[in-house]
Amino acid sequence: MAAAGCTEPTVPVTVPFVATWGNSPISCSQAAGSQRMNDLRFYVSDIEFLADTGAAQSLTLDRDGSWQTARVALVDLEDGSGACDNGTPAVNTELRGQVAAGAYTGIRFVVGVPFEDNHADPLAAAAPLDDAAMHWHWRSGYKFLRAGVEGTDDGFWVHLGSAGCKGTVGNIERCSFPNRVVVELRDFEAGRDRIAFDFERLLSGTALDDAAPGDCSSGPAESACVEPFARLGIDHATGDSVASQSVWRVAEK
Amino acid sequence: MRNVAYVLVTVALIAGALRFLQHNEWRWDLPGNLPPPTVPADNPMNSAKVELGRWLFYDTRLSVNGTTSCASCHMQELAFTDGRARSVGATGQLHPRSSMTLVNAAYASRLTWANQLLAKLEDQALTPLLGDNPVEMGMGGRETIIVEMLKSEPRYSELARRAFPTDADPHSVLNAVRSIAAFVRTIISYDSPYDRHLAGDEDAISESAKRGMDLFFSERLECFHCHGGFNFTDSTTHANSRVDQVGYHNTGLYNIDANGSYPEENTGLFDMTGERRDMGRFKAPTLRNIAVTAPYMHDGSAATLDDVIDHYQRGGRAILDGPLAGDGRVSPYKSNFIRGFELNESERDDLLAFLHSLTDENVLTSERWADPR
Repeated sequence: MAAAGCTEPTVPVTVPFVATWGNSPISCSQAAGSQRMNDLRFYVSDIEFLADTGAAQSLTLDRDGSWQTARVALVDLEDGSGACDNGTPAVNTELRGQVAAGAYTGIRFVVGVPFEDNHADPLAAAAPLDDAAMHWHWRSGYKFLRAGVEGTDDGFWVHLGSAGCKGTVGNIERCSFPNRVVVELRDFEAGRDRIAFDFERLLSGTALDDAAPGDCSSGPAESACVEPFARLGIDHATGDSVASQSVWRVAEK
Repeated sequence: MRNVAYVLVTVALIAGALRFLQHNEWRWDLPGNLPPPTVPADNPMNSAKVELGRWLFYDTRLSVNGTTSCASCHMQELAFTDGRARSVGATGQLHPRSSMTLVNAAYASRLTWANQLLAKLEDQALTPLLGDNPVEMGMGGRETIIVEMLKSEPRYSELARRAFPTDADPHSVLNAVRSIAAFVRTIISYDSPYDRHLAGDEDAISESAKRGMDLFFSERLECFHCHGGFNFTDSTTHANSRVDQVGYHNTGLYNIDANGSYPEENTGLFDMTGERRDMGRFKAPTLRNIAVTAPYMHDGSAATLDDVIDHYQRGGRAILDGPLAGDGRVSPYKSNFIRGFELNESERDDLLAFLHSLTDENVLTSERWADPR
């Protein structure tokens, strides 16, 4: 790990997130156009700050016993109100940690839970990996991302997680479709910027006005996943991160 | 002297163990030829646990809106199925698939229709309880309610303490799930007319059923290749098993676009693996109590046993029009055992008589597995 060594001073840093539909804010209670958010939660890991030179410094997450372990943080932008009737009032809108002092102009992170944590027993896991709403017993791992919107008679949600796992629960050997998103944002400055999760970008190419809620649940057979996976930079046929994602973007405070 | 001390200690240990067993013992009470089911090392059987699981199995408070218990989709009188083509969850959401029987689930090497990850009832039970697509019981994110229920209801709290005697605090979602799994593990059927016939009772089944049994086990009909063994499924395991036996089969129910495709919401093992050769592969369910578990197949698309026999007799189902049109008989993914066969009317009656002889009235009616309220 390239993070703060013994000699390098570290500085505390926060990385705030916000939900948008295009440039409009969206929330459980606040519609953007015809859509309201009905869920937005995602796990973040392997966070690095990037210098102009391309050098990367790891962010060491502050362990807080609720939203962050040393390796994984849960960003939770739904507050259980309005359309988020399966959510909870508690929210966590930012990452908090320590990074080596330096001049950084970008950030990179993975939306996903590392493999070893992903397939451990969720009923024995520490927060935020103890959140049963985020665990996906059916696929033996976590939902890395739960994101959804709904209108009056339509909507769409994406549940992202590893698929095609081999073995049995408790003894998973590997997953054929890792389905982790790599987010790399240039021109991100901590203290100046926030990171927007842009639903309009996630759902561009997906039909919302078809009078039926649809969903992508990360299945290799699900045609509804093709478009949102492309926005996430994941090859639906392999589950690998192969292109730049466009859903998370820099937004000024 | 040392030997005497050892003997005394041993006697004391045995006496203590016996006292414990008197209050909380577990005996499978199976006929001699039936092996005991596999029990996970971290969830040993005991009577308090089974009793707690029985109460929880029938408790609708384990659903988001208090409408639905495990028993809503697993009704004892229907061999723990629900009589629907596809099940309906607490919030009214239609499940893609049909409720499976829980009878002899203890002997299933994998659970559900086509999820090869789920080998233990303890793991499977979390999906209906907490899953949200589809919503079955809808308790995801509401775990504290389950814990509070265990704590606040004296009967549950008392049973939980006895069921998990080494836990400092036995009130947990994990222990609720372990208890339900332990209860379901006891739903074992071995008392059908067919079983009594095997045990030597000449009059247990009709002559017609005996002829049907011969047909069932014939190379001509091939039924037993997938529905074989004491539990009539090739995905069977037990405490003495030496191999992890699991089978998934495409029986030619669908062949959309002549490319072997199944409807997108029900592609079977393909949904789990993403490998095209797994298209339409589902687990062969047990045939025990099959006469009371209509409608049939993973999606309830065969209404009667006659329809099922039609399907296998033809060697795959033809759907003539509509979005699902296609001839399953020529699916590239169809099992080699689904070849079709000739069957005259009296043979069909015999086969049906045999299938009906697999109904165990005891498992459908015994107080032991009924709602304790």
